[in-house]
Amino acid sequence: MSPYGTNPGRNAISRRQILRDSALGFGSLAAASLLANDVVGAAAPPFTTSLSALPAHFTPRAKRVIFLFMKGGPSHVDTFDPKPLLDRDDGKPLPFAKPRVQFAPTGNLLRSPWKFLCYGESGSAVSKLFPHVAQCVDDICFLHGVHGTNAAHGGACLKLHTGSDTFVRPSMGSWVSYGLGTENANLPSFVTICPTLAHGGVKNWGSAFLPASCQGTPLGVASQPSTAATIKYVQPANNLPVVQRAQLDLLQEINRSHQLEAGPSDELEARLQSFELAFRMQNEMPEVQDLSRESVTTEALYGMDQSTTEDFGRQCLLARRFAERGVRFIQVTHSNTDVQWDQHAKLKEGHEQNALEVDKPIAGLLTDLKSRGLLDDTLVLWAGEFGRTPTVEGSDGRDHNPYGFTVWLAGGGVRGGYHHGATDPYGFFAETGKVHVHDLHATLLHLMGLDHERLTYRFSGRDFRLTDVSGHLVKEILA
Amino acid sequence: MTEIQPDFSVIRYFLPRTGAHIVTIDDIVSLDRFHVHTSGKSRLNLGLGETSRVLEIFCNPFDAVESSMSTRDHDFIHLALLVVWAAAWATQASGETEPEQDTLAGEHWSFQPPNDPALPAVRDALWPRGAVDRFVLHRLETAGLTPAPAANRRTLIRRATFDLTGLPPSREEVDAFIADQSPEAFARVVDRLLASPRYGERWGRHWLDVARYADSNGLDENVAQANAWRYRDYVIEAFNQDKPYDDFIREQLAGDLLPCDDPLARNERLIATGFLSLGPKLLAEVDETKMEMDIVDEQIDTVGKALLGLTLGCARCHDHKFDPITMSDYYALAGIFKSTQTMDSSTKIAKWHENPLFDEQFERAKAEHDALVAAEQAALDTLLADARAALQAKLGEGASLPEKPEESFPEQTCEQLKQRRAKIAELNKNVPEAPTAMGVQEGEAVDVAVHFRGSHLTLGDTVQRGLPARLSGDNTPKVDPTTSGRLALAEWLTEGDHPLTARVLVNRLWRWHFGRGLVSTTDNFGVMGEPPRDAELLDWLAIALVRNGWSIKHMHRLIMLSATYQMSSDYDAASVELDPGNQQHWRSRIRRLAAEELRDALLAVSGQLDETRGGPCLAVKNREFIFDHTSKDETSYESLRRSVYLPVIRNHLCDSFTLFDYTDASISNGDRNTSTVASQALYLMNSPFMEEAATRLADRVLAVDVESDAARIRWLYETVIGRSPAADEIVRIETYLGRFEELAAGNQSEFPPPAWRLVCQTLLMSNEFSYVR
Repeated sequence: MSPYGTNPGRNAISRRQILRDSALGFGSLAAASLLANDVVGAAAPPFTTSLSALPAHFTPRAKRVIFLFMKGGPSHVDTFDPKPLLDRDDGKPLPFAKPRVQFAPTGNLLRSPWKFLCYGESGSAVSKLFPHVAQCVDDICFLHGVHGTNAAHGGACLKLHTGSDTFVRPSMGSWVSYGLGTENANLPSFVTICPTLAHGGVKNWGSAFLPASCQGTPLGVASQPSTAATIKYVQPANNLPVVQRAQLDLLQEINRSHQLEAGPSDELEARLQSFELAFRMQNEMPEVQDLSRESVTTEALYGMDQSTTEDFGRQCLLARRFAERGVRFIQVTHSNTDVQWDQHAKLKEGHEQNALEVDKPIAGLLTDLKSRGLLDDTLVLWAGEFGRTPTVEGSDGRDHNPYGFTVWLAGGGVRGGYHHGATDPYGFFAETGKVHVHDLHATLLHLMGLDHERLTYRFSGRDFRLTDVSGHLVKEILA
Repeated sequence: MTEIQPDFSVIRYFLPRTGAHIVTIDDIVSLDRFHVHTSGKSRLNLGLGETSRVLEIFCNPFDAVESSMSTRDHDFIHLALLVVWAAAWATQASGETEPEQDTLAGEHWSFQPPNDPALPAVRDALWPRGAVDRFVLHRLETAGLTPAPAANRRTLIRRATFDLTGLPPSREEVDAFIADQSPEAFARVVDRLLASPRYGERWGRHWLDVARYADSNGLDENVAQANAWRYRDYVIEAFNQDKPYDDFIREQLAGDLLPCDDPLARNERLIATGFLSLGPKLLAEVDETKMEMDIVDEQIDTVGKALLGLTLGCARCHDHKFDPITMSDYYALAGIFKSTQTMDSSTKIAKWHENPLFDEQFERAKAEHDALVAAEQAALDTLLADARAALQAKLGEGASLPEKPEESFPEQTCEQLKQRRAKIAELNKNVPEAPTAMGVQEGEAVDVAVHFRGSHLTLGDTVQRGLPARLSGDNTPKVDPTTSGRLALAEWLTEGDHPLTARVLVNRLWRWHFGRGLVSTTDNFGVMGEPPRDAELLDWLAIALVRNGWSIKHMHRLIMLSATYQMSSDYDAASVELDPGNQQHWRSRIRRLAAEELRDALLAVSGQLDETRGGPCLAVKNREFIFDHTSKDETSYESLRRSVYLPVIRNHLCDSFTLFDYTDASISNGDRNTSTVASQALYLMNSPFMEEAATRLADRVLAVDVESDAARIRWLYETVIGRSPAADEIVRIETYLGRFEELAAGNQSEFPPPAWRLVCQTLLMSNEFSYVR
């Protein structure tokens, strides 16, 4: 009996078989070289450069994820979770106990500065902060009862991205890469656009003990404008492509002679192939990032024609282009050089500016994906690391609130216009339809066709999962 | 809702006797977790599925606690009560009990003291050079395999030099070894390499992986551990001096407690305790009690993996399911670390403790500084007294001075006062800083209560500080109740017959020499780890280590002078057929250079390597942010020193390190991966570092005092790969030189000519450069 679920881990043999039979994707090289270390009785794998993605556990509803990460913790009671009692009891004390552990002390209840209106056939309530996203509510599935475990940015970011705020664990994108491989041999399976280096930094897209090929490939960092975001070293420095090609030809000649002398070796062969892959990727990336072929209408849809929305709009448009080209997991981070959504003070100014920057680009992304038929098999996840307190911090701010907040999903396999769960009448604690971060992970994997209990990796004598020993599929939200 | 009165005595009674693992947690029913306690079902109506469900919640203490707390404070207590009951019920229902853990401990190989094995018989009596070879050959013969022929000398010296120093051999070293026809030639090479300070820089780095060494905290608040380098240098020196491994462990666990008269030796021992303090910490954890227990847990986890090869951390939340570590054992150890002071303050951002070091230079500087300040102060005092006296005289005897007499001083005096004070302020800005080192000291000696499910919110009985009894039986040393118990822990670990300490180390040495341990799970010797491929060889090595005064250099000689180590990596179809994975070690494994070796070798062959040893490596002050939420970034990897001296910034390691499978630097790791991914190729093709290396190498090759391209090509091969090129290889390079020149025509203004740079870079990218055979 396994302590971490009695289901066997993801079948290692068949996975290895698959890798051996056909795949040498961007993601599978590492696995292939690992095989050489621990497989008994394996013949030299016949490497080819064709790619086959790895099969899911069951029929997936989504083939890829676009994760829109709102760094800092957007306030749910000011965006997607209206609380009329806050208007009524503004300035009064919270009528029940606050949590034992809080990040900063807060005072009495604070009403939302924004009105909520109902939109779409579903009549979903959205505050005036998100007028464009409001037009898409019938495609959105709101989870109002989400809760986490950590009240500080670092812990909460790690929890959301890796499932653990105490240990170093692989990020969810790397688990998806590990589970499903890539659909495009020339691109990484997991990219993260303008990620923040703080609060966990690379751990939030790292692969920990999973093969290195599963880790997220960053494009730029949060403090850079998205125009500067590109994969490191993907641009040939001073060499003309034709010269570099000749150089690689020489390299491969040298490597072939070496291999003739050394005898057949998977490892040497894989390394030889890795240069060819790199060369192809180098050719492919500029095309992905070249937005010049996008129409003016498309650019406008993402708000790229306005200075406020231009930066995040480009990130969202890049995300769509990666999605189209078969990248499995694309993270887009909204964070400037401050902790963007972290309004301990000046809630009104801060949230207004933040929402303005992302509202149109997000709506643009959803609309664009839908019109291209991509929304059916693309899962869009919108989340911060936590929500904010309904009680006031200082005179005009809100504190971190991991005890109840809203996250939403759209597309690939979720019920549009649906609201799952609720916080209490003031919005402090998740109360019904509670979805822990582990549950969110379990559900996300399920939508990708992966059983979170079977997607395991053995490390140091133990089978690890994204959801550790927790996680429950939120069945109610499945379309 | 059924009100159930929480009764902790029930919990205390049941929990140690049951434990979640008794009930399977599969077959989960869909039951809203937060309705468990409000479902109105009486206890007896709970089905097995629901029981399992509750147990599962219980298995994840932090989530369960926090989520239920968020609804009502009592929920968890109800939940816990239900779980306890459910677990007990399920045990009865199944009629089964877990095998006694003592039985497990009795059976598992790694908990037995090492056996002194007899050397096995072999058919080929000529091949073995020593005991290691007898064991290896015996297994090969049993499997119908024959060992590969000995490696040629060029291959062997390249292998040994990278292996012991992490650097390529120089052309002169290769030539000298080939010229030395004595049978002692290789032994001399090994001795020379072991005596080189480069040895500690390579093998100390192996230990730093195990010690999860870093120069920044990482995790949430990435602040500088600007004194961590002292520990790094301590480790490097320990390897260079061949510090006996038992001393090495004692110093790292309890250096502050070892009697010592020599202040410099004492410094070293204080620095060594950095081992316990270097782990990543959630410095902004809001819950201070949780922070303290998290740090204790990290220490136990590291000590367990690094020294014992056991995952002790699991027992924080439950009795270990496979290894003989109970929650009581865990909290007995936790008491030891809780009684040890690692932190000075836990309010965010929390501060770790640093021990002051004795430093003659500092003492002198401080004395000089103090004297200067005192002199200035005295001068100031005199000036003030004189001025006051003068003022008194002016106002007449008996007159009282104004409230602020200085306002009535003459302008010149005021100016003098101002200058004197400025000088004192200036001096005080530059007080010489006492050198300190991250490390621990004794704290208040306390015992810790069992934390049910690992949570500090649900405490059970208090456990006396102590050592895992099941590992060592009745002879387990007791912890003196007035101390933390760290010294007892260190002494227990370094008793020569401890079943794990020596085995775990010799296995690490084997892993670092051969790429795979005799136990392939180097950090897990528990029931869930892999069994040893050759238990007798492992035991023989463990005993040899202890018998030879725990000398690691002795073990290097034992291993490297064996015929096993000196085999070639030649391919042999028949052997591949029998043992494709080379499990039995019938040939040497080819090995890709580690991240540091690759960088250092690139710097070395391109003539850029700065061999300065030791010292600090950060530009920011201790405890300052390396980078923070504004993504300000103070990391710099520009230095041309050996990789071991580059800063290890958690969450932001040097690019090429991350790409080439460096350790994560947050978790103890004795078994790095080797991956092959396209991003490594991109780095080698396009990074400025590679361009610089290629350019410098091209400078060197063009400066060689020879006439022909062929001669330059020969020099290049010998320098980069350590061998002469064959005739056809020379022709190939000449041909490509021509092609590159043609292709780059019009681009030729720069020196050195791009053609040579391209050739150099290509050779630096080649498999032959990146792999040791």
